[in-house]
Amino acid sequence: MRRVLALMAAIALTGALVISAAAAPAVTPTRGGTLIVGSGVDAVTLDAPMITDSPSATVSEHMVESLYRLTPEGRIVPMLALGHTVSADGRTWTVRLRTGVRFHDGTPFDAEAAKFNLDRMLDPATRAPFRFLISRITSVTVVDSSTIRLVTDAPFAPLLAHFTHSSVGMQSPTAVRRLGVDYARQPVGTGPFRFKEWVRGDRVVMTRNDDYWGEKAFLDEVQFRVIPDDGARVAALEAGSIHVAVRVPPREIERLKTARDFTVSVTDSLRTIYVGFNVTRPPFNDVRLRRALNHAVNKRAIVAGALYGTARVSDAPIVPAVEGYSKIMTYDWDLERAEALLREAGFSRARPLRAVFLHPSGRYIRDAEIAASIQGLVRRAGIELELRTMEWGAYLALTNRPQPENDVQMYMLGWGTVTGDADYGLYALFHSSQWVPTGSNRSFYKNERVDALLDRGRITVDQAERNKIYAEAMKTIMDDAPWLFLHSESQVTGIRHVAQGVIVHPAERVELFKAWLRR
Amino acid sequence: MWAYITKRLLLSVPVILGVAFMVFAMVRVLPGDPARIIAGEAATQEIVEGIRKDMGLDQPLLRQFATFAMSVLRGDFGRSVRSKAPVGGEIAARLPNTIRLATAGLGIAVLVGVSAGVISAIRPYSLIDTAVMLVALAGLSMPVFWSGLMLILVFAVWLKWLPAVGTGGIEHLVLPAVTLGMSTAAIIARMSRSSMLEVLRSDYIRTARAKGLAEAAVVNRHAFRNALIPVITVVGLQMGTLLSGAVLTETVFAWPGIGRLLVEGILARDYPIVQASVLVVAMAFVMVNLTVDVLYAVVDPRIHYD
Repeated sequence: MRRVLALMAAIALTGALVISAAAAPAVTPTRGGTLIVGSGVDAVTLDAPMITDSPSATVSEHMVESLYRLTPEGRIVPMLALGHTVSADGRTWTVRLRTGVRFHDGTPFDAEAAKFNLDRMLDPATRAPFRFLISRITSVTVVDSSTIRLVTDAPFAPLLAHFTHSSVGMQSPTAVRRLGVDYARQPVGTGPFRFKEWVRGDRVVMTRNDDYWGEKAFLDEVQFRVIPDDGARVAALEAGSIHVAVRVPPREIERLKTARDFTVSVTDSLRTIYVGFNVTRPPFNDVRLRRALNHAVNKRAIVAGALYGTARVSDAPIVPAVEGYSKIMTYDWDLERAEALLREAGFSRARPLRAVFLHPSGRYIRDAEIAASIQGLVRRAGIELELRTMEWGAYLALTNRPQPENDVQMYMLGWGTVTGDADYGLYALFHSSQWVPTGSNRSFYKNERVDALLDRGRITVDQAERNKIYAEAMKTIMDDAPWLFLHSESQVTGIRHVAQGVIVHPAERVELFKAWLRR
Repeated sequence: MWAYITKRLLLSVPVILGVAFMVFAMVRVLPGDPARIIAGEAATQEIVEGIRKDMGLDQPLLRQFATFAMSVLRGDFGRSVRSKAPVGGEIAARLPNTIRLATAGLGIAVLVGVSAGVISAIRPYSLIDTAVMLVALAGLSMPVFWSGLMLILVFAVWLKWLPAVGTGGIEHLVLPAVTLGMSTAAIIARMSRSSMLEVLRSDYIRTARAKGLAEAAVVNRHAFRNALIPVITVVGLQMGTLLSGAVLTETVFAWPGIGRLLVEGILARDYPIVQASVLVVAMAFVMVNLTVDVLYAVVDPRIHYD
């Protein structure tokens, strides 16, 4: 009897052990190994202020750090800065910097180095594409070796969020000066990994920075490999040649669900996809027609059909992860409503609304398929769209012409609010001072109320107050419907089980700072 | 012979200059502003104008060409407008990959193609001929992005014999070379077959057979060599094409070669990259053509250049 009890106890115990092991795999990360990420395109440049694309930023951020960092959860936390204070008039910022930090080449990171980097980005001769993020700064002064003071021409609330942007990265002044234009191919920052080599069109290799100021990385080496073909990238993941595959085609998710060696993760992105109307020219200078199109398109069907569910129907011009977001509205899919609006505006089945719809192909996830879906969906409401698929360069040139010569009627684009702050996601797109070619307002949208609200959002420091301002602005924008509001993209990433701690950041980055390889 | 080669090389100078000017003009005629593409859709106009100025795009076209031609003559292709990397280095990094892939692919193609063609020609309209030509037709019709993926699926994902993509040792070269070789082999096979058939029907072959030579000797010594001329022409043309980059194969196998560099350069309106890549390709064609002409003389004693 006692033996039976003992046996039962033993079974119960081991059972409990197995369960606890499954519930909380308390595995300690192991050091070492090389983790390989398969990316769709090569980095373009690794000189932080010159970066405009997320593949370059992904690589860069492992080596070059900014003053602040946007966490995957959307919080702004100090990175190379320790903290800051803002003067009562909101125009003077004092930023305290982390001490004892050195760049990979041994140059100390101090106030001088921070000033050098900010001045470099502000210098118009640098041609930094994202200069506008910090262009309100009129002077940068060194207070002491670990403090800088910034003066802006007006209070500028989004500054902290903008400091998280990879293009405001802190790079070694010594290296930048010494290497000049060649710096772009051998960056020197303060990050957890240091640059090793860049085989153009093939791979970027980095090794662990053993002198890192923070928690050191586990991996000996990380490689970002270029595998342009979607199918080949997935095959390389299946074959085990790479550990992480970015931009897995959504149609593969179902098939890959049964895979034993890796999982496919779907992560929100900060990128909103929309169709813009030129609101200054017929036919879309009539708000009824813009609303009619918004009602005529079944956004849910596009997300479910064209994107296999890997997207989120927009309920605001920006996504929830962005500071300043609030849920505004979604135009219901309502063909009767759409037809009523069309009739009011003088169109009918006999005299259908016709327009030319420009769209890129291969720029955004399934963009051409989505454009075709829109064409098919609005036809049911009696709207005839003529699709024009365009190569990206030609497309940008065409949609970027100034208003008097811009005869684009409808165009599809995406916008990633990578600073995680509403100002970046709204100002450049809807403020009337930002009409192309000056900014990115390609709809030539102008509403004085929206202008005033967006201006106020910039100078209001209190976040609760800012949220209210942006909610108000977005309500007006959505009511005016300068866009056909579609969806925000998701990132579909394949990750092998041996690769642990890989983070897919909403700003379309793969982060390996804390990643490790299971043995 | 040497006089001929020198003359041909000298003649190629105006050809290459012409190509240079045409490419120079063509990239600028393309819609799309390189400065805008580099700066991205978010940058302000001020930045875009600045980049245009840095690139010298605000200068008159002829002056731009003069600047370009002068620096090329000095051996300086300039810097990529996107990555700021010297174009010469970009090409030097990729050219060996392209040459490796082209040579391996063509090697497979010639080996497979010529043997298949000859075998077919010896037994025309037989079962083996039909089978070989059917396979050749399939090889010719299969798009590289499909056949390449199938090879990856079978040999990398299922069998795990070979790496899926990328460069490295000889094992990395096998799949892309076979993929590339397959379609080229098909072309060569069809060409060798028809050329061989024609030769086998000629009078001197009948004579050779009549005087009692063994069939193997007839085919190998008499027919094959004479059938080679059109095959060499096709191989030369294919070599030129392969050297100009097999974009699809390079894309599927993540092979960093000239083809992808050129296509990515065009998409980004990276003028210096496009100009230099096309120049290199043009030079490759000139060299291959010259080699083919010289080979004619080697293979066929009736051909000689004075």
